[in-house]
Amino acid sequence: MNLENDTPRWQAAGQSVRGAAHERSGMPNQDAICWRPDCGAGSLLVLAVADGHGSSRYPRSHTGASLAVETATQLVHDFVTSQEEAENLSLVKRAAEEWLPRALVRAWRDAVDEHIKANPLSEIELDALGRTNGDFTKAYGATIVTVAVAERFVLYLQLGDGEILTVTDQGAVSKPLVKDDRLFANETTSLCTADAWSDFRVSFQPITHEQPALILLATDGYPNSFRDEAGFLKVGPDILHTIRAEGLGHIHENLERWLTDSTRAGSGDDVTLGILCSFVPFCG
Amino acid sequence: MSMRPGGELATRPLHFIWIADCSGSMAVDGKIQSLNTAIKEAIPHMQDVADENPNAQVLVRAVRFSDGAQWHVSQATDIADFKWDDLDAGGVTAMGKALSIVADQLKIPPMDERALPPVLVLISDGQPTDDFAGGLQALMNEPWGRKAVRIAIAIGEDADQEVLKKFIANPELRPLQANNPESLIKYIRWVSTAVLKSASSPASQSAAASTAGLNVPIPALPDTTGPSADDVW
Repeated sequence: MNLENDTPRWQAAGQSVRGAAHERSGMPNQDAICWRPDCGAGSLLVLAVADGHGSSRYPRSHTGASLAVETATQLVHDFVTSQEEAENLSLVKRAAEEWLPRALVRAWRDAVDEHIKANPLSEIELDALGRTNGDFTKAYGATIVTVAVAERFVLYLQLGDGEILTVTDQGAVSKPLVKDDRLFANETTSLCTADAWSDFRVSFQPITHEQPALILLATDGYPNSFRDEAGFLKVGPDILHTIRAEGLGHIHENLERWLTDSTRAGSGDDVTLGILCSFVPFCG
Repeated sequence: MSMRPGGELATRPLHFIWIADCSGSMAVDGKIQSLNTAIKEAIPHMQDVADENPNAQVLVRAVRFSDGAQWHVSQATDIADFKWDDLDAGGVTAMGKALSIVADQLKIPPMDERALPPVLVLISDGQPTDDFAGGLQALMNEPWGRKAVRIAIAIGEDADQEVLKKFIANPELRPLQANNPESLIKYIRWVSTAVLKSASSPASQSAAASTAGLNVPIPALPDTTGPSADDVW
């Protein structure tokens, strides 16, 4: 048996576009996307998307989103790498569920603190924050959605709004995480709140027989751009079909335009889509 | 040119509902005429706000309450097509019933989870004569009722401030007191432009930060100070 040929390999793609409403107001894109390793291919890949809150009360949330995807992908990549040789997946699952959320929040807050030290808050920013209790991480408030694909498991972590979809080889779409009813009416759980780690939703799925063919991560501006949920869910099989018919390069070439069309005709919010696809030869 | 993935795209609906007191006391000193005038004058400004944000579809309805409560404008109407038929006054103050029928329309469905927070504007010059608590409870039982931007305008000194505060259910926001036609026009203009603009923004925020209920930033109030001699209500 040729183990190397049997090892599932993954590829990453993605794009983030500034929302139509933010184009009109001159605000920067509050979303961010990042994957590791940078080459976007391998048997271990981590992809994250984040959404800065965007209102005046969170004046650095675009930076908060960037710090979130950078720290999350680094930390989760390090975590999964350190667990590659672990024999007991139950212990890996437990560490992913209990240790990782705390570590993610801590790493993000450390990164925020460093950023504040290097770039002190202005008087205007302090006014926007209300000069409350000296905890100025609120200025960077953001969500974080992260997926790690490895040889033996897939790990999903999410804090705040946004969506993760998995698509089977046959094109069936599902959501790997339970719904959080608090994510409603522009409100979201956030990295900037106390005990943010406890708001994470985590799913650890060992790969037993069939792994997802495709995993999509989106900030909420994307699903909110469709008239109904069915329209958003259709993105899964459509992208799978396109990759199989025309290759991942075709996605790279067109994704920015598709997302720009979506925000303009849809939510007006920043739109980010991350794609993890299990490697398939281009059949087009 | 390849096909964009996914189904049909659509802007997000923003439901704006006037809830207007049409009890007999609204016929006194031209209150109902002033309200009709204020809302009519606000419509083009609402249309301007909607034009500035084409990603929010502003849909307007109106409820009237007196001896009972009915939809004055029952269809959620795009603000571009919205026209105001004058209200008339007579009867008692079935405010609770009015909140109940609004609550029915805020259920999911017919409301959509992807909608922007609705804006509810309650305008009254008196005290409810029916089961206000029951109507308010029905409204607050609905997720979109709890998360709506709820603004109250008190017309004249006899308006029940405590009832309006309960409707707002937010200590950071008080009922707007309109004691003359000019201040009523200013408040109606404010809620239909500044508040509408704020509610139509896609910005999100931490749920923990909005425990007070302000999930949409409320803009600064208009200046309605003036000589008290102008107060006619």
